[in-house]
Amino acid sequence: MSTVTERTFKYLDERLGTASLARATLRKVFPDHWSFLLGEIALFSLVVLIFTGVFLTFFYTPSVQEVTYDGPYAPLQGHHVTAAFDSVMRISFEVRAGLLMRQTHHWAALVFVASIVVHLCRVFFTGAFRRPREVNWLVGIGLLFLALGEGFTGYSLPDDLLSGIGLRIFYAVTLAIPVVGTWVTYLLFGGEFPAPDIISRLFVFHVMLLPALLLGLVGAHLAILVLQKHTQFPGHGKTERNVVGKRLWPEQTFKSVSLLLFVTAVLALLGGLAQINPVWQYGPFVPFNVSSPAQPDWYIGFLDGALRLGPPWDLTLFGFTISEVFWPAILFPGIAFGILTLWPWIERRFTRDRAEHHILDRPRDTPVRTGIGSAGLTVFFIMFLEGGNDIFGVLLNVPVETVTRILQWSLVIAPIVAFLITYWICKGLSRTRLRPAQINAGVRLSRTTDGGYETVSLEPVQTEEELEPAER
Amino acid sequence: MTDRDQQGSERVDVDRQTEHGPSNRGLTGGQRRAERRAAIALGVAIVAGVGLFVVYFAGGQTQVEGVLFAIAFGGFGVALGIWANHLLDAREVVEERHELSSGPAGRQALGDALTEEVGPVIGRRSMLLKLLVGAGAALGLALLLPVLSLGPAPGNSLKVTPWTRGKRVVDEEDEPVRLNQVPEDGFLTVFPEGFAGRADAQALLIHVRPGSLKLPPERMAGVPEGTHVAYSKICTHAGCPVGLYRAESQSLICPCHQSQFDVSDGAKPFFGPAARPLPQLPLGVDDEGILVAQGDFSAPVGPAFWDMNRGS
Repeated sequence: MSTVTERTFKYLDERLGTASLARATLRKVFPDHWSFLLGEIALFSLVVLIFTGVFLTFFYTPSVQEVTYDGPYAPLQGHHVTAAFDSVMRISFEVRAGLLMRQTHHWAALVFVASIVVHLCRVFFTGAFRRPREVNWLVGIGLLFLALGEGFTGYSLPDDLLSGIGLRIFYAVTLAIPVVGTWVTYLLFGGEFPAPDIISRLFVFHVMLLPALLLGLVGAHLAILVLQKHTQFPGHGKTERNVVGKRLWPEQTFKSVSLLLFVTAVLALLGGLAQINPVWQYGPFVPFNVSSPAQPDWYIGFLDGALRLGPPWDLTLFGFTISEVFWPAILFPGIAFGILTLWPWIERRFTRDRAEHHILDRPRDTPVRTGIGSAGLTVFFIMFLEGGNDIFGVLLNVPVETVTRILQWSLVIAPIVAFLITYWICKGLSRTRLRPAQINAGVRLSRTTDGGYETVSLEPVQTEEELEPAER
Repeated sequence: MTDRDQQGSERVDVDRQTEHGPSNRGLTGGQRRAERRAAIALGVAIVAGVGLFVVYFAGGQTQVEGVLFAIAFGGFGVALGIWANHLLDAREVVEERHELSSGPAGRQALGDALTEEVGPVIGRRSMLLKLLVGAGAALGLALLLPVLSLGPAPGNSLKVTPWTRGKRVVDEEDEPVRLNQVPEDGFLTVFPEGFAGRADAQALLIHVRPGSLKLPPERMAGVPEGTHVAYSKICTHAGCPVGLYRAESQSLICPCHQSQFDVSDGAKPFFGPAARPLPQLPLGVDDEGILVAQGDFSAPVGPAFWDMNRGS
């Protein structure tokens, strides 16, 4: 029987040698754990971002050319707006399914960055970054930065009042770079704010430069994962020398495609029902107007909060000025992300652990790392809260000054408290010996030759030595 | 046997995998139920997909489209999930890891492959190698030059605004602003004539109560009647328009990061992250009773930059 499928397989195999390659790929084993799906959620959000983004690109105009709005949204009719803002209004009100695509794109961006951050936390707290995965850690950090860059550039494209203010603040941050800040800012923005080139430049970054880098790094991230094979949690039959799990085909493929469909479903639901970035309410960007309260997308929140918490200290050295913006918006993120990037090497300096690790740590077994991680998350979380200090002030009916003062003190105290509590919880959990992986793995019930039954209890295998002979 | 065949058969040998778990043939009762549920989920997905056609051609409706997309994708996903969990014959497999490193011999072989045929120049500190590096560096720098075309040289542009001595004060519609046009405790965003809406020139004209300003005499000289004071509207912190004015405490508040400035005391910051006062715009009145500028702002406007305090 020579079906079309068989003939196609034969044709390809004879020319490309696909049969053995495909077989090896399909039989690849991946360990099963819910936390290993977090990175997949990021990947699938990216898929949604690409499809919705390409659709939006067909309608968006990256230009600050002034036009008169004459679309169906009555409150803005007759107003002078930029062509960029006008095209976003057109996508939202006139292009069929345009608003759904736009809102889904925006929601997907929020989920994309969120799932990257949660995936990063999983990798950090389980020690998955240890040798031999330091290179992939760096690739992952690069992906985080690119995702943030994509988010910020995309957010600024509609040229509305809220994003224009965000751009204005970003301009102040680049101006605050010591020595070269003014030049960097003028080269980036094309002149003094609001220089007309900025929207078309953001567009090139958002749809070309950053996506090219992003997709390249995603490819590298996955290729390294396949090459090194996935890590696994300790458990029955799992050693540093093997991978226990399910094959790529069929189980992992079914589960992953199922997850892709779920992620898309949730994003479509959000895009359809949950209004996001209603630029028609903010209006077009006008350099002397501002909306209040004003909050950026969640992942920029910590930076906006840092700017609100920052001390009013500017320095003049030999006649040169270091802006008060430098400390919270350049020095702090520089140090924080510097530590994050170099973490595998920083930790190694203290643990002196140079061995290869394919079995993951349980967070409780590394209380110092877990404590430092939660202290770091606390710092970012307090800054994120301060990013909404005006909203909390109104909600709690306290002056915004009080909110800021409390959070300034929290920034000093809370990370220490978070470290101590986490450390204490980890130690406590370790003492209880409640180890899911070491709980009795169950019994095997088998029929004996004489018709009876026997039960064999499955002992958790802890060491390589115990397992090796049986496996070979 | 060809080379590829050998590799292929070798690969089959290499993935030494041990399988655990059931290998069922024929559907159990639970699987039959799972199959039915998956079929229902796929049916729902098909209905939602057809619904999308109807909604689109009926004119489109964002919320309905979102829900139908979610149902179509979700139903499909549920079906595959059920299939993965109940209908596959998948087994737990143990696969061995192989050594990642090629070992010293492998690295040596790579080194040999790299150097074997490049000739005697590499390995010596030859002139040629140094020139090669030099040429690469020169070319690299030359290729970077076009980056400078991306923006104008900053020069003086951050330190000056279009405000000059004698420029009339106008509102955002380019209409001249007269003395006492703004009521007491009121404020207005103003620009130099011909530059309405200009970002770096925006200023706040505030009509304060008489006698409430505590400015040094040379600053008071730029405050007509002692009540019409003007400050740059660009926050000295991060550049947002300082758009909120509390008349009873005579303070300006930046809505972005809540820096607060004392209008009566030269717009000095008294809370929040801003470190420098809002620069003052010296005002006067012309023969027709229209407000005019006496010059540019008292300092560079907006956020700080490296050489803001260096002479221009």
